[in-house]
Amino acid sequence: MKRERATDPFDLAVETGETSWALETKGMCVDYGAFRAVKDLTMGFEKRQVTAIIGPSGCGKSTALRAFNRMNDLIPGCRTEGQVLFHGADVYAPEVDPVKVRRWIGMVFQKPNPFPKSVRENILWGARINGYSGDEEELVEGSLRQAALWDEVKDKLDKSALALSGGQQQRLCIARAVAVKPEILLMDEPTSALDPISTSRIEDLLEELKARYTIIIVTHNMQQAARVSDRTAFMLLGDLVEYAPTKELFLNPKDGRTENYISGRFG
Amino acid sequence: MHSRIQFMEELSRLHHDILSMGTRVEENLAKALEALRSGDAALADEARAGDGAVDAMQVTIEDRAAVLIATQQPVAGDLRELVTVFKLTEHLERIGDYASHLAKAAKRLAKEPYPRSISPLVAMAELEISMVRDAVAAFLNRDAELARACAARDDEVDASHKAFLEEALDFVRENPDKAQQGMRLIRASAWLERLGDHVTNVCEAVVFMVEGRHVELNE
Ligand SMILES: Nc1ncnc2c1ncn2[C@@H]1O[C@H](COP(=O)(O)OP(=O)(O)OP(=O)(O)O)[C@@H](O)[C@H]1O
Ligand SMILES: [Mg+2]
Repeated sequence: MKRERATDPFDLAVETGETSWALETKGMCVDYGAFRAVKDLTMGFEKRQVTAIIGPSGCGKSTALRAFNRMNDLIPGCRTEGQVLFHGADVYAPEVDPVKVRRWIGMVFQKPNPFPKSVRENILWGARINGYSGDEEELVEGSLRQAALWDEVKDKLDKSALALSGGQQQRLCIARAVAVKPEILLMDEPTSALDPISTSRIEDLLEELKARYTIIIVTHNMQQAARVSDRTAFMLLGDLVEYAPTKELFLNPKDGRTENYISGRFG
Repeated sequence: MHSRIQFMEELSRLHHDILSMGTRVEENLAKALEALRSGDAALADEARAGDGAVDAMQVTIEDRAAVLIATQQPVAGDLRELVTVFKLTEHLERIGDYASHLAKAAKRLAKEPYPRSISPLVAMAELEISMVRDAVAAFLNRDAELARACAARDDEVDASHKAFLEEALDFVRENPDKAQQGMRLIRASAWLERLGDHVTNVCEAVVFMVEGRHVELNE
């Protein structure tokens, strides 16, 4: 099927812009009023890899993550400077519609937050907003399969999503996020509300999802970062302290502050 | 994430046990050397009997280190240290075995004294006793410089081994009827040479632990 050439400059960039990074920030700063929560963040995220962001509570992980897809726009008083480049286009350029940004860069939150609707509606909602006109059954099944949830819910597609277990709800949220075929998935502590079995299912799922998507995950669980990610970024007080292949960062960190944090030496 | 205080306490217990194991290996080696020098069979037996304790210490230390890894999930420098513990105990155990072999050889040789000088053998063993001590100290103090200096002394061990080999071969050529005795001495010298390599390996492991990179110290 031949698609029409995009007219929106952001759509056009997504269609044609070739970059080596899936996402790149340049001098990104995020302020809440007079408080600078993320300072001068310059980093690139590798395509189809899992990147973990770790660091103590309040260091700016969630703020940085939300800045990547303009989720912070929804917070009054929050301002972002610098650039966030996706296919070479700055997602903060004045003409860019943040809804479009979030269509390509999806997000999964700490607490599973399905809509109080059926399983099927949860999947179809985002796709419909984005003008999906293909086979809906196919999309529902495909998305649920990608989230490793199909077998568990295929007989409950019209039941309320809220009747699922916490771990199932979180996988539904992942299915909902992949239904719009994004390129990047942002996940903010996606397993912190889950039991170990659901956690390990999600971790296995990340390994499968990274064949198609670039994943950026914030986690407090250092073992999880070590297990699931290819690269790890360590943040402290709004600064990026160290960013390296995960194996290197956990075996032989270069910065003493990283070593202290991951070894549990605080204060 | 682990409890730092508990981890540090466990680690210091482990250090204590490693020091005991190192000291025990050193002692056995010193006894074997003395048996070689004096022909004292009782001392040789003591050295050999002491090896059982060394083996038991290895098991205890490794079990404790494995539990620490399982329960505390160490990373970075802590993890490198625990990985090094396994290498250290493995090599110390092997060094202990060589000390034991040497003690056994000392008993045999006592029955049939060697008419020439065994001073290169003695020099090797003496040097190695101090090397074992330094290698363990380098581990306990996280001292990469000491580890490098210690490994460098292995060259002297190799030189002594070569010198003694010449000497012993010469002896065998002149006394073909004493070939078995000569072979025994050559074997002892070869054990001591191998022993030095194990010390060098410990030193390499210590450098990895401290600096996080793999090095070859036995060029
Ligand atoms: N809406 C907000 N208004 C004002 N300040 C905020 C707001 N959200 C976060 N902050 C502040 O910004 C800093 C970074 O917060 P952020 O939530 O990004 O940290 P985090 O690294 O995700 O922490 P945690 O691990 O606890 O989730 C903190 O000092 C926080 O108090
Ligand atoms: Mg957060």
